[in-house]
Amino acid sequence: MWVNMGPQHPMTHGLWNLKVRIDGEIIVDADPEMGYLHRGIEKISEDRHYNEVVTLMDRTCYVAGLSWETLYITAAEAALHIEVPERARWIRMLTDELQRIGSHVMWYAAFVQDIGLMTPFLYGMRDRDLILDLFQSFTGARMTYEYNRVGGVRNDLPNGFTDRARKVMDWLMPRFDEYDALCLGSDIFHRRCDDLGRLSATECIDLGITGPMLRSAGLARDLRKDRPYHRYDQVDFDVATATAGDVTARYLVRMEELRQSVRIVRQCLDWLDKHPGSVLAQELPRWLGAPYAPVGAEGYLLKRRYPSGTGFSAVEEPHGEAQAYVVNTGGEHPYRVKFRSPVFANMSGAKSYLVGYHVADIPPIMGSVDICVGEVDR
Amino acid sequence: MKPEELKDNLAELLGPRLLAVEPFAGMAGRVRFERTAALELFRHVREVLGYRHLSMVGGIDWVDHREVFYVAWSDERKEYVLLSTDVPADDPHLESAAPVWTAAVWHEREAFELVGILFDHHPDLRRLLTPEGYAFHPLLRSFKLHEPEDLEVKTRNV
Repeated sequence: MWVNMGPQHPMTHGLWNLKVRIDGEIIVDADPEMGYLHRGIEKISEDRHYNEVVTLMDRTCYVAGLSWETLYITAAEAALHIEVPERARWIRMLTDELQRIGSHVMWYAAFVQDIGLMTPFLYGMRDRDLILDLFQSFTGARMTYEYNRVGGVRNDLPNGFTDRARKVMDWLMPRFDEYDALCLGSDIFHRRCDDLGRLSATECIDLGITGPMLRSAGLARDLRKDRPYHRYDQVDFDVATATAGDVTARYLVRMEELRQSVRIVRQCLDWLDKHPGSVLAQELPRWLGAPYAPVGAEGYLLKRRYPSGTGFSAVEEPHGEAQAYVVNTGGEHPYRVKFRSPVFANMSGAKSYLVGYHVADIPPIMGSVDICVGEVDR
Repeated sequence: MKPEELKDNLAELLGPRLLAVEPFAGMAGRVRFERTAALELFRHVREVLGYRHLSMVGGIDWVDHREVFYVAWSDERKEYVLLSTDVPADDPHLESAAPVWTAAVWHEREAFELVGILFDHHPDLRRLLTPEGYAFHPLLRSFKLHEPEDLEVKTRNV
């Protein structure tokens, strides 16, 4: 019998439908049905100025907007042959890591609610707000930041930001131990999560699964180490791994990543304190350079020829490995923008990690995938 | 791996069906090949060269023809490779990579519905993001965003 779990189901964070075929209580087949959130972001991008696509990136993944902004913008800069100031690279690394903390804490809050623990949910939401406050202090927004620009970032960090961020990090670090105590110390948590949704590293590679799901199966693959972008080669951190490859292992990996992110954020803040400077490239063509180019101003709406090129970037986004491919044929709009969403690939293997488990196991298993439907459907 | 090494390695296997190996920033290289060599190349790249992780499949509509590109990652080499081929717009057929990389199934479904590439021997070539029976391939250049009559969702009778 086929059962529709969704599109309106407490387990589906975002709008999607999981069709499962069941034999009694056992799952024998699964087929996720996507597309409820398809907004044609890749198509709209072809009609937008390079900087305007950044606006769409916040909407692509609504819990990790800044990671998607830096992903797109590094590919766009490669396609346009534009160099970025050193300080902007470090700010991007800082925002990526803050975003990872925000996203993982949000995941924690949603996941524990999926398995029936209400109190940790409130703790998670409370702590995520501190990260959003930090974002608000330098982007002006809590969710749709529009902070990156071709050639750097829109504005520098405000005075006193680094001290404020350090205080938040000092406050967060012991909270992660609290999270662990609430979950790992709970017998209910272990009974609901241990030995569920098992995947081996080989299966993950074959299915294209990346991110915490792959690392929980024992493979220490992290683009920040393997193929450093921004300035990840200049900071110290460890790649979090676990061996079991089940739901509990994914929880452990994400919790360790939170701690490692705090470590990276602290190093970024130290570096930014010592190295003031420009955050936006100075020698940009007028239509790219002005952060708020007036519409109709010379060069902005006129058709400009620019050396063509193709840009590719890959970023270790909170959910896994995200990629962008930007084709520039010399016009003022990108000719084609293509994104690889990590959740898209992680969900495509749903059948492999659901078959054989009970229907009641679906919420913890799908919760451990960390689904963000916005980036799957785009 | 350098583009020259990659070229030497692949030229032996594909002969004239290998069109070029170009340098590409951040990758081992951009391999341009004839579409008839697709399956052979995929097998070789995965099994012999070790690019076991397929990351992305995308299509580009160049109006007179369409381009299909594959991005794969190797854990041993710690780098990406880009495989790219052209298919004519009036006959957009290409051999599916799904028998080689399981991960290709969803990526190719997406390239099929958005850019209209027809993957032969694909196990499950259904639409993924757009509704069943939707009559368009929205990422083709002929699909215009500004024409209001297109905003209404037109579906075939299914």
